[in-house]
Order: sequence, then structure tokens, then C-alpha cells
Amino acid sequence: MIKITDLEKFYRTEEVQTVALNKLSFDVKEGEFVAVMGPSGCGKSTLLNILGLLDDPDGGSFIFNGIEVSGFNERKRANLRKHNIGFVFQSFNLIDELTVFENVELPLIYTGVKAADRKERVHEVLEKMQIMHRKNHFPQQLSGGQQQRVAVARAVVNNPKLILADEPTGNLDSSNGNEVMDLLTELNQQGTTIVMVTHSEHDAKFSHRIIRMLDGQKVTENILV
Amino acid sequence: MIRNYFKIAWRNLKKNKFYSIINISGLALGMFCSLLIWFWVKDEMSYDRFYPDYEDIYYVRCNSDFNGKVVTSALTPSPLAEALKKDVPEVAFATKLAYNRDLLINFGEKAGKENGLYASDDFFDVFRLPAIAGNPKDALASPNHIVITRNVAEKYFRDISPLGKTIRLNNDKDYIVGAVIENIPSNSTVQLDWVVNFKETEQEWMQLWGNTMLRTYVRLHPEAAPENAETNMKGIYPKYADMDVFPILQPLKNVRLYSDYKNGKPSGGGIEYIRIFMIVALFILAIACINFMNMATARSSLRAKEVGIRKVVGAARNSLFKQFISESILTSLLGLLLALGLVKLTLPAFSRFVRRPIEMDITDPTTLTSIIALLLITGFLSGSYPALYLSAISPIHNLKNKLKPGFFNAAFLRKSLVVFQFTLSIFLIISMIVINGQMQYMRSENLGLDRERVLSIPLEGELYNKMEPFKQEVLRSAAVENATTSAMLPIDIGSSSGDLSWPGKDPDLQTNVSVMHVGYDFIKTMNIELAAGRDFSKDFRTDSLAYLINESTAELMGMEDPVGQQISFWNGEAPVIGMMKDFHIQSLHMPITPLILCLDPLNSSHMLVKTRAGKTAQAIQDLEKLTRKFNPNYPFEYHFLDTEYEKLYRTDTMISTLIKYFGILAMVISVMGLLALAAFTAEQRTKEIGIRKVLGASVTNIVTLLSGNFTRLVLISIVIASPVAWYTMHRWLNSFAYSIELQWWMFILAGSVAILIAWITVSGQSIKAATANPVKSLRSE
Repeated sequence: MIKITDLEKFYRTEEVQTVALNKLSFDVKEGEFVAVMGPSGCGKSTLLNILGLLDDPDGGSFIFNGIEVSGFNERKRANLRKHNIGFVFQSFNLIDELTVFENVELPLIYTGVKAADRKERVHEVLEKMQIMHRKNHFPQQLSGGQQQRVAVARAVVNNPKLILADEPTGNLDSSNGNEVMDLLTELNQQGTTIVMVTHSEHDAKFSHRIIRMLDGQKVTENILV
Repeated sequence: MIRNYFKIAWRNLKKNKFYSIINISGLALGMFCSLLIWFWVKDEMSYDRFYPDYEDIYYVRCNSDFNGKVVTSALTPSPLAEALKKDVPEVAFATKLAYNRDLLINFGEKAGKENGLYASDDFFDVFRLPAIAGNPKDALASPNHIVITRNVAEKYFRDISPLGKTIRLNNDKDYIVGAVIENIPSNSTVQLDWVVNFKETEQEWMQLWGNTMLRTYVRLHPEAAPENAETNMKGIYPKYADMDVFPILQPLKNVRLYSDYKNGKPSGGGIEYIRIFMIVALFILAIACINFMNMATARSSLRAKEVGIRKVVGAARNSLFKQFISESILTSLLGLLLALGLVKLTLPAFSRFVRRPIEMDITDPTTLTSIIALLLITGFLSGSYPALYLSAISPIHNLKNKLKPGFFNAAFLRKSLVVFQFTLSIFLIISMIVINGQMQYMRSENLGLDRERVLSIPLEGELYNKMEPFKQEVLRSAAVENATTSAMLPIDIGSSSGDLSWPGKDPDLQTNVSVMHVGYDFIKTMNIELAAGRDFSKDFRTDSLAYLINESTAELMGMEDPVGQQISFWNGEAPVIGMMKDFHIQSLHMPITPLILCLDPLNSSHMLVKTRAGKTAQAIQDLEKLTRKFNPNYPFEYHFLDTEYEKLYRTDTMISTLIKYFGILAMVISVMGLLALAAFTAEQRTKEIGIRKVLGASVTNIVTLLSGNFTRLVLISIVIASPVAWYTMHRWLNSFAYSIELQWWMFILAGSVAILIAWITVSGQSIKAATANPVKSLRSE
């Protein structure tokens, strides 16, 4: 599903150029659950941004579903993203002005799903995430665990092929964190590919394979299953 | 999707009440100004367009050569209308109209003054006014018949049919009502409540081509080209009058707003005021939109996360653009509703002020379209930049809630927009000060003749017939100081002549001298200073032929000592008996021109009465008694000369008042924007202020730091606004022959007011930020 080869990304200020990704290469197969680990500043988040088509690499190749996507313009990237990729963030990133229902509904709006179908689909996902009773609440009225469940619901509502998770349990206590990890595992078992960036060895154990990074390069790769 | 946009827009508005109130009320004020001006402009543009086939109606003006310059006159000689119809094939109908007059109408017990005119046969062919009863065309053509409007019919005849009834006009002659027409709409440049055939008032001297005193209108054949008509009209004067005069056509629809002519070509008129106020309204709307833009981009960091999330879940840039535009349109819509309410509330007062019955009919399709257009323009004007700005930001930066400083250089743009706002406001304040100064000057300027405590009484009916006995009785009142008669009000002498000649005059020199007939004691009553000679006096029988001139006439003739010299004018060759010091004979827009006074009490239409100080009320009582005694058929009527003088400046007063209100509004909206921006800046810099305070900064240091930036922007605005205002006001003052000088203190005053207001606005927020406990602000980070 994903094949990156010699991926490069630099950050420049006026005087200094920092290398975020240094000729990074690896594959992710369909249905895989991959964890990316490494110390702060090793390039994990940059990698996730590129995989999520939020950012463009400065060099190398990125093939997504058989298509070379590096060099896509913003519109093409947005289009590919909204149909194929779901995101889960450490800080949940729910829109404070929208209710739980409306937050989950948002991706469906942008993919042009009809209102009646949207309602049905959102309800279905909210039921699955066991957060239905909170659908008319605003994010601030929920606990951290509940917010992350809403975020996961939003990530999966479009049935994406790939879910990118950036420290999904980072802001949660252990029991809420475990719940989220169980949810991701379940999604993976149903066929969704997952790439997760994490600091937590505990969380990484839920994955099939751990890629460890340092200074923008892959250091080791452990297959767990 | 749209619903989702509006939903979030609504929630955002509710969440940030302070900023929402500033945005909505600012936009409301801006749109309020635009709407008010728009209704006014719409009314002005509607003039004369209700006449059927108005495109074929033209007003005839005459171009003539005057010392090498082309002068365009609005009045035409009597025989022109007939000649146009006879000799110009494009002309289907031609009519001439005498001056409108308020004449007494009597029917049985009922009496009142009604405004009307004498017009020639084709009047109703040119102006196809709808009839209610009778045939107006036939009635106008029949001798001894009068056509009246519905107003007059209802006032004098109530329940009976007016047709065939006889009314007395001007207490002088009986006319049979031949037809009743619908009331003339107020947006017609030709106004009347009665019309009688011109033949009834025509006199032999009016037949001369040199006497221009009538308005001439033509209706061309529907397919006729006005250019061809004008070409054919060139032959008329050579054929009949041997004068270098060329009639020209002005479309009727342009008469109201394009009344000025320069070098024989239209050069504007009322349209200029319309343009000025449209620009001012647009400026005020722009100021309000800028508030919205500035707040939206300043607060963009608060929206950045939302933008990021939307992009991550699949929003393309254009859908985000649409979302933010929807927000600004929603805000504008709320502003619009408020603005419509304000218009509704103020329209009656505004109508009185512009002296027009201006209405707001939102069911009218043009009005509705314009209101919707205003909404969309405001929405797009204020929302497009923020929408572009916000939708362009990359999702990664958004999610990290960090906007790169200098992105699109929004801060610089924001500062520029604040400068723009304040430049406009300061420009309007300077204009306000200058215009106000000029108005003060006009009110207090010594005209060279008295206008205080002078009453004018129209000499009509028996007051005219028994002018001298009436004057003697008036003079007997203890409250009256003096009295005289004159053909016109001496503050607005409109009549002029090219007939002046004197020994040694260059035969090629064309002259145009103002002229007025007066009675005895004119100089004394009006308190005009004599430079030499004397006033007309009953002691000299030959004075009935003599002339009184002003200094400008003496200068024109090149005479240092004109008294006793023979000149040739309307009374033939006769001596100058006195030279008056120059006094203003028209509004201060006009320069003082040469003036000749001729003694002819019988040519008077006003009695001018100078009352004793503090006894004006008594004088009015005495005059009323006398008028009732002499002239029982007429209502008592009097005017104060100084009020009549003010009327000469109606347009100027209107401009001055409008600029004043608009200037204040512009300043209020700018200040609201500044307040919001200052509040936001203080909020954003809380951490910085906290650190500075921990490091030892005093409250004064902080306030100066925060207010200093804004003060600098206002200073830049002053620098930009001053020369622009100087140029504009200089031009405006040049439209007066007599005006104040632009003074440096006017600019300093405007600048100081702006700085002071801006400083008060900003420092409130700065002090609040500076006095906050730094521990709190640092802990909250």
C-alpha cells in the first residue's frame, strides 16, 4: 500500500538547514499495523505528515496504492486524502464549535455524502465507539478518553484504507489509552492499515512491526508477529 | 454544506460577543450610510423619468459668445418655441414656460395662493400629463381657461365637479376650469398646480429675440436624432435675429443633475454632490469592512486549528474559502438587518433634511436587488481577504497552532488598513472643519448691506396698487425704522443686461451688468455705503431717469469719478448720481459684478422694511394690521431677509451637515476597529507583558509600548490625509468667489482630535493589560 524510497525532507531557516528525513525507505503492506518509534526530533511526525499527504517531500519517491504522489498539488492531495486516509492525533483535534455528531460528520460532508446517509453512517460509527449518548455534546464537555473515541470515530467514518495515528494515547490515562489501542487493533483486524507514531513501548506492542528512527533515518525494524 | 458553514459561523459569532458586536455594528453603520445615500441617489436619478417617452423631451438652452467665451443660458426668448417647431423638422412639439408664480386663487369664499405658470399651446404635447377630467390640451388652447391639478381641485371644489366653474386668478381675471390633471410628481423639474395659456400674459416687448425670460422645451419625433435637430437649430438666429446665438438641446432627464455649462458644454451640477456622497458612503463602508478584515486576520491564529482539522479530514481550499465567505456574509446580513432598521428610523428626518420625500420600499425590485448587492459586496469585500488568508495556511502549521510570522505579511497589511481607515477619517474631519469655517464665514460676512431686521413683503393686489400710501402708513409705525421697495431681493439680484454704454467705450467690448429697479430710500433702508454722490431723491424730478452704480461698474467703465457723468442704459442717456461701495448682490459663490440701480417704484415686487432693534415682533404685528387693511383679499405674508439669505446656501448647508455626520460616523467605526484590534493585541501580548513586568517594566512603560504602535499609525495617517484634504478643500473653497483661507491649525486640530481619540481608545486596553498580575499571565501559558 505504501512504498517510500529515499524520502528526504529539509527544514530551512535563513541560516540553518535541518534534515528531518534522510533517504528513508520502507514499505507498508495492506492490512499491516506498523508502529514508528524514536526520540523527539527524529523525524516521526514529518514522516506521518508526508504519509498523510499533509506535506510534500523534498526528495525521493512516495507511492501510495500504486500511484506516485510526491509532487501532487494541494487539490489532488486533498482529494486522495479525504477518500483514503483517516487521522488520529495525540491532542484529539476536534473542532470546539461543533458537536460530537457534527465533528464525526465532517469528513462525510467533504466527500459529498447525502445528509440522510451521513446521519446513518455517523450513528453507526458512534454506536460502535460507544459514544452515541454524547452525540449532542461539545468536545469540551467530554473526558479525554471520550474525545479520543470521537476522534477515532471521525477517522474511520469514511472507511479509509489507512489510518495514521500520531501518539493516540499520549494525552490519556492508561485505561483510556488501552481502550483506544483496542479500538485500533479491532479496526486493523477488520482490514484497515494502520501506521502509528508513538513513544510508548506498551502501545507499540499492539502493532505487527516496529520501525525505529534516529536523525531522519531508519535504525532497526522488528517484526512482532 | 452551506448549513454547516452558517452553523459554525453563528456559533463563532455567539462565542466571541465583543468582536461580533464590533463587527456587526460597524458593518451596520457602513451599510446604513450606503443605503441612505443610495435611496437619495435613486430619488435624484428618478427626476423627470415618469413622463411618457421622456427620452424624446429636451430642454432648450442657448449658447452665445461673450467676449470670446461661450456662455450658456437657461432662459430663451419667446419667439424661439414657434421658430423651432416651424423650422426644425425633428421637433414635433415645442412649448415655452414663463416663471412659476404664486398667485391668488379665489373660488367663492375660498382663497389661497397656488403655484403655477403660463405655458404655450404644446405644453401637454411635450409633457403628457394624465388628465382626471376634461381635455387639458383643449383647455389650454381655449382663451379664458385654466387647467388645475387634483390638489387644487380638491382644495377648492371638494365634492363638486370643478369643470366649467369659474375661478379668479391673481384677484384680477376670471378663468373657467377646463381640465383637471393628476398632481405633478415631486420628482419633476417642472412643477405647477395650475397652468394658463401664455398668450394671457404675453406682452409686446416679450416678442423681442433679445429678451430671454422663458424656458423652452421640445419633444422630438420618436426616431429623430437630437444631433440633426441641433444642426438645424443653428439656422434660427441668423434667420430671425441676426445674433450669434445657437440653441442647444439638453435631455430632460439631465436637467436636474447636469445644470452647469462651461464653454457651451455640460460640465456637471448636482451630479457632483451625488458622486461625492457616493464616494463618501463607499469609504465608510470600506472602513467598516476593514474592521472585519483586520479582526478576522488578527484572530486567525485562533481559527488555525479548525482550518487544519478541516483540511486533514478532506476539505479543499475552495470549500474553506466558501466557509469563511459564508461567515462574512452572515455577519453582513446581521449588519444589514440592523442597517435597514436604522434607515427606517432616520428616513423621515433625512427626507426633511434633503427636502425630498424619500421612501424605502423593499418590495421594489431595484431596491431589493440593490440591497442584496450591498449585502454580497460587503460580505465579499470584508470576507475575501480573510478567507484567502485562512484557507491558504498549510494544515501542519495550523494543527500546531502556529502561524509563521509574516505569512502573507498580514500584520503589515493590517497596519496599512488601519492607516487607510484613519486617513479617511482624518480627511473627513479636516473637511468638516474647513466646511464649517466657510459656513460660519458666509453667515457672518458683512455683505455691504443690512440683512438683519429687514422684512420683505410681497407687493401684490392692493399693496401694489396703493404702494405709496401703504409705505407711508408703514413708516408711521414706531417699530419701523425705514422702508423701500425693490423689484428683487437685494441679496440675490438675478437680472442682467448687456445694454450699458458710455462715452469712449470700446465697441467690441461686450458687457453684462446686473440691474435692479428700486423705489426711494433704498440706500438708506439697506444701509448701503455711498462712495460718492447721493441716493435717489424726490427733490430731483430728473432722478426718475438717473442711475446709481456700484464701484465695479465705475471700474468697468474706467471712470475714477463717475458721479455726474452721462451713461447710456435702460433709461437712455442720463447721469450717474451716486456710486455705492461694492456690496454682495448674490451668494458668496458669485463674485461682485457691476450693478446699476434704476429708480422705478412701479416695477417693485417687494417692500423691504427695516425694523427698529428689539421691535421686530411689534413691527410684524403692525404690518399685519396694515396689510389686512390695504389688501383684505390676500393672506399676510412676510419673509426675513437673513432667512432668505440662508436659503441661498441650502446646498452648502446640506453638504456641511452631511459631511459632519459622515465624518463622525467614519471616526466612530474606525475607533471601534481600533478598540477591537487593541484589545486583541493586548490579549496576544499578555505573556510578553508579564515577562516585561517581571523584569521591572512599569505600567507607564507598558502602556507607552502598546499605545505607541497605534499612535505611529495615526501619525502616518495624518501625514497622508493632510495634503489630500488640502487639495480637495482648496478646490471646494475655489467654488466660492469669497472664501476663508486654509489655515495650518485646521490640520493640527484634526490630527490632534484623531490622535486623542485613538489614544483614549487604545490606552484603556493597554492599561488593563499593563496592570494585570504578571504571575497569572505567565502561569496560564
